[in-house]
Amino acid sequence: MQKHILNRLKKVFKVEGDIKAPLRIKIVADKDLVSSILLYLKNQMGFIHLNHMSCVDWIEDNKFELVYIVWHPEQKQTVLVHTFIDRDNPVMENIDTIWDQANTYEREMREMYGIEFPGLVGAKEFILEDWQEMPPMRRDFDTKKYAKETYATRPGRENARDVRKEIMKRSGEELPEFAKKYSRD
Amino acid sequence: MFEMTTLVIPTEQRRSDEESLITENKMTNNPDKNIKTLGIPTEEEIKQAQIDFAPRCTSAGRVNDKETQKMVQYILNFARKHSLFVLAYGTGCGAIEIPATMTSRYDAERFGIRGAATPRQADVLMITGYLSTKTLKRVIRVYEQMQDPKYVIAFGSCTINGGMYFDSYNTIKALDRYLPVDVYIAGCMPRPESVINGFIKLQELIQNGNAGGGKCYRDNLDWYRANQQKVIKNWDFPDKYNW
Ligand code: SF4
Repeated sequence: MQKHILNRLKKVFKVEGDIKAPLRIKIVADKDLVSSILLYLKNQMGFIHLNHMSCVDWIEDNKFELVYIVWHPEQKQTVLVHTFIDRDNPVMENIDTIWDQANTYEREMREMYGIEFPGLVGAKEFILEDWQEMPPMRRDFDTKKYAKETYATRPGRENARDVRKEIMKRSGEELPEFAKKYSRD
Repeated sequence: MFEMTTLVIPTEQRRSDEESLITENKMTNNPDKNIKTLGIPTEEEIKQAQIDFAPRCTSAGRVNDKETQKMVQYILNFARKHSLFVLAYGTGCGAIEIPATMTSRYDAERFGIRGAATPRQADVLMITGYLSTKTLKRVIRVYEQMQDPKYVIAFGSCTINGGMYFDSYNTIKALDRYLPVDVYIAGCMPRPESVINGFIKLQELIQNGNAGGGKCYRDNLDWYRANQQKVIKNWDFPDKYNW
């Protein structure tokens, strides 16, 4: 069954792919082909459900990898459609005309990775509010540095130092026996 | 303790005494005023009368003296301590402990702790976990809408020093920079016992008159505002402290 699905996709679209697991087929497609593949999967092959869309940041290759996961409810099969887009100019085709729920995923990707989807409906702000830096899920965004600069820390608790001994001294209490093995020193 | 009879104010008597004193003074100081005009008073006269006959607070025999205030404060604190209305509002993971605290097993209502639907009716604001900057903005608005006296209880290590979200780009780390916190409850997450323990600590503070960050917030508003504006980028609050 899986081989049949894979061969059919390979024949129609000339894509590469292999069988990852008993219920999982992976294909890697060109960016421009993705929407036709998804439409074909939905209308001709019965993969009527869009499970998930996600994005991976391959900063070393200067690429974003987008993954579309679709599901066939009767055959219990999953197809993962992978595609790569340019990281400097991240534009991807909008597929919310195929599945409405793609809109939500795309808005999140736009906010978290800065990927543009031309024709995408919906407010620019999705989850974050008043965000002025670069999109926070990109790997070149230095989260730790930003958090350190923006949010005040409590003096003395800037790092993960074990302060139980000091508290013991201050309050005159004994560290219970069971707690001793959790020491960080 | 309840010698209330000494506090009864001999109002009529004192008023008339004072008035006579004032008019005497005026007569000597300002001879022009002695001429009595019958009929409609001039504007100046009205102003003067408003000053003269305004209710005055002098210490002796009035409700405002120190002993009375102490007693009134004692009674007020006693009442406040036993009727803590908690705003039904939860952030972070900690709100899941509140139902357990309030319902029959731990039954926080025996301490007078119960929920309130709106900030205007609530006394206690519970911050039950991490606060993203987006939530912080709402929390500040909610806090400012609450009526004095108001108390803040902060839950969990996230509000104390960031907890496991110490390196998040979107959550604050020390809550008392942005709101005056009365009681911190440590733990991740604190169990209902420690929540109730925290409330009892707050009751102690209220009884001693040490709780209530509202005044502190008003006095140090500039400091709090500066901190808040540092994390809330698009500041669209009203300029004045307006409640
Ligand atoms: S202290 Fe722990 S339980 Fe509480 S909000 Fe933070 S992570 Fe969640």
